[in-house]
Amino acid sequence: MATTATLTLASADIAGDPVSVSKTATLTKAGSTNDLDQSSGLNRVHLRSTTQKTLLAANAEGNDLAAKVYIVNKSDDASLYITVSINAQTTGKLYGGDFMFIPWSQTDTSASIKVAATNWTSSTGDIPVEYALFHEDTDFLTNA
Amino acid sequence: MATTIASINLTSTDLLSDSLSLSAIATLTGAGNSTGLTQTGGLARKTTESASQYTLFAAASYTDDKAHKIYLKNMETSAGLYFLISIHDVEVGRIYAGDWALIPWSADTTGDNADFKITPSTSASHTLEYMIIHE
Repeated sequence: MATTATLTLASADIAGDPVSVSKTATLTKAGSTNDLDQSSGLNRVHLRSTTQKTLLAANAEGNDLAAKVYIVNKSDDASLYITVSINAQTTGKLYGGDFMFIPWSQTDTSASIKVAATNWTSSTGDIPVEYALFHEDTDFLTNA
Repeated sequence: MATTIASINLTSTDLLSDSLSLSAIATLTGAGNSTGLTQTGGLARKTTESASQYTLFAAASYTDDKAHKIYLKNMETSAGLYFLISIHDVEVGRIYAGDWALIPWSADTTGDNADFKITPSTSASHTLEYMIIHE
């Protein structure tokens, strides 16, 4: 059940020499070579609130297991961003078109991944966000 | 202005009953604008032989509340060796051998400094490659 994640980072002009990084990872369970075998599938939501919303609810059973989270801000507007937080700690912001791919520890039930359309107003329009979770805990249910 | 392109492909032929193929391409730009990120720390490599946590990027060294991006790659091949990623004192997750991550980072300094920290799983030799692209 191999799932692979490939990242490419490329720039011809951010430094004196070109930057070209390309890496592929096979998503495996914690500390083993067995493949991750669970997924939430690709989800899509439309954010229209500056209030934090739970995108993925942490389950303490997932602590120390391997989980990977993919989130992409599908807005075409570069100024519209979502703020991503874990356990009340802002990790970063995804502006229109940005994506992230991170591991997720789920240290406890407070470690949910939350997002907020921080600069949303009724005139900006919704911010479409797509996300997927790849994980190993068979008892773990997503989509809070 | 520099142009830096990040792309991701997530694929599986057998995780689900239908093939999975997700992809996205992003031009890395500044916070709230279309100007390409112009700064980078370059691709770097660090080998540790201690299980102590260390700060990879100090928030105070970067502009607060911007569209920084951090790339990490665990270069190990032994499946049990991982790096735990933390921001300030919150655990984000572990990248196991061969894993990579691309993480947006605000470098917040408004409250507690959101320093970007790494903890190797053991005192065995762990090698990490990393790069920050920032404003």
